[in-house]
Amino acid sequence: MNQNTARGLFLAAIALAFGGGALLHFPIGTFSRAGAGLFPLMISSLLLLIAVAMLVRARLVPPVPMDFNFRNIALIMASLGGMALASLYLDMAVGIVVMVFISAFAGTTYSIKRNAIVSASLILVAFGFQQLLGLNLPLF
Amino acid sequence: MDILHNLAFGFSHALTWQNLMFCAIGCTVGTLVGLLPGLGPLATISLLLPLTYSIPTTGALIMLAGIYYGAQYGDSVSAITMKIPHASSIVACIDGYAMTLKGKTGLALFTAGFSSFIGGTVAIVVLSSLAPTLGEVALLFGPTDYCALMLVGFVCVSFVTTGSLLNGLAMCLIGVLLGQIGTDVTSGQTRYTFDIPFLADGVGLVSIALGCFGIAEITKNLDAREERSPFNGKIDLIPTWAEFKRIIPSALRGSVVGSVLGILPGGGPVIAQFAAYALDKKVSKYKDEIGQGAIEGVAGQAAADEAAARTSFIPLMSIGIPENAVMALMMAAFIIKGIQPGPNMISGHPELFWGLVASMWVGNCFLLLLNVPLVRYWLSVFKIPYAVLFPSILFFCCIGTYSVNNNLDEIFVTAGFGLAGYLFMRLGLDAAPLMLGFILGPMLEENFRRAMLISRGHFSVFVERPISGTLLGLIAAFIVWQLVAFFRKSRKAREAALLPTANTATAA
Repeated sequence: MNQNTARGLFLAAIALAFGGGALLHFPIGTFSRAGAGLFPLMISSLLLLIAVAMLVRARLVPPVPMDFNFRNIALIMASLGGMALASLYLDMAVGIVVMVFISAFAGTTYSIKRNAIVSASLILVAFGFQQLLGLNLPLF
Repeated sequence: MDILHNLAFGFSHALTWQNLMFCAIGCTVGTLVGLLPGLGPLATISLLLPLTYSIPTTGALIMLAGIYYGAQYGDSVSAITMKIPHASSIVACIDGYAMTLKGKTGLALFTAGFSSFIGGTVAIVVLSSLAPTLGEVALLFGPTDYCALMLVGFVCVSFVTTGSLLNGLAMCLIGVLLGQIGTDVTSGQTRYTFDIPFLADGVGLVSIALGCFGIAEITKNLDAREERSPFNGKIDLIPTWAEFKRIIPSALRGSVVGSVLGILPGGGPVIAQFAAYALDKKVSKYKDEIGQGAIEGVAGQAAADEAAARTSFIPLMSIGIPENAVMALMMAAFIIKGIQPGPNMISGHPELFWGLVASMWVGNCFLLLLNVPLVRYWLSVFKIPYAVLFPSILFFCCIGTYSVNNNLDEIFVTAGFGLAGYLFMRLGLDAAPLMLGFILGPMLEENFRRAMLISRGHFSVFVERPISGTLLGLIAAFIVWQLVAFFRKSRKAREAALLPTANTATAA
């Protein structure tokens, strides 16, 4: 996929999402008495203009290949989501263990022993934050 | 005399045992985290911002400033010893690493540390002289002038950080749009919240910063699957008198360049380093050696880097406009602590302003005294395997984002922005202008609406006022210049592509 084209399309999608939202859901008003939707509409229109300019430029300059590593970003997202969910329904200590064990799959090597040590250390740090800094962590 | 009196007042606050401790912690933690792969000052400050919530205002801001310039220093250590650059230490890689290859790591580190001290000292003199004056000038600014000034900031930051005006501006605008999420101050209507209650106050700055910088950087490093070898070379720190004499002029030149460029919108450490390096290559007695491991190649850029880092506080504290993403984050820290940076800050909170200025010099001394002799111990950070490091950084991201509002939903928001940050990176978009847009967006909207209300909806008010008219004229000239440059470049590229075909046809 051409990075330049993808960039233009991505920006256009953001502009349309915000601009469409402003047009459909908020009052626009006039320049002298602006409604809640006027400013976001103006900014998203500008962004759309830039996106169009980028799409035009993408046709004038040589294409740049684009690569994605979905596996790593998905693992990191899953580890963060897992931590939040486990902390919400169980305990942050469990959340930390979940985060470390899931995120470690994104590394070059995987070691259960290392993950256990990292998890235990991080739980200790979190406990220190709770007791010494007074952070209100849902821990134990 | 006023400045001396004010500085003495500042030192009386900065030298309390409590503020000294915060400054020392900030410098130490900043240096330590700044050394870590992928974590520059921006990510470091965003990671550590939540730790300052329970600290008194002056102490918290002194600590954050310490984290900032501590991280700047940490960056240069990793650049010199292992050629691992961050945004603020790209130039240090050139001659610094070349000196390491020659076995002069200690000298390079001493030069960077000592030059940073000189740069910081010069910048503090500039900061204490200029900030109050600019603060008085800023009181003359109306809403239109503020709008124009923010737009100048957008344009400059976009171009300087990304090198592409369109990419940078697009990111600034996305930041502004993200700043629209939450409750509209004028009408009280909630915007883009999808009826999720915790979004009524808007998206958290810490979540955006941690997601777009911290998590995105981790994923980038994981994708690269780099194997970093720790530095085990010899570190001999004491320079000879001849070497010392080479450091001073270069550091002084760098200090002046850095101080000036730090003040300008879009300036700051990155551009200052390059400018100082270029200047040394032109005027230094040893210009032929620069690029191959010359002391001047380290001294000038290190001084400029540190000077610009400090003088970039001038627009923030005197006008209330952050000129780069790191300053935008610092502005958020001020706001979180209930302080609105701007023309009234110096008169309203003199102990904070002068205390912060004085603490920068104290921080300078800490960096010089602690870090230069202890640098070999800092380098042991690199011996931590990345497999241990990245879950730990993720953990700090989670704790940081959670502790803002004690809300676990913030972790989901951070994860979302982590994904967004990764997408931005893969699409070749720099997230730094987004932060600036996010911070300035609500201010821009407020001033724009005020200006339109005063002018009864006439846009002419923006060009009728001399300050805003001049600033907008500058923006227009810059955009035209960029367009002309782009079309010239495209035409040249097309001509170059056609030339071989034409030659082949003629030959045939």
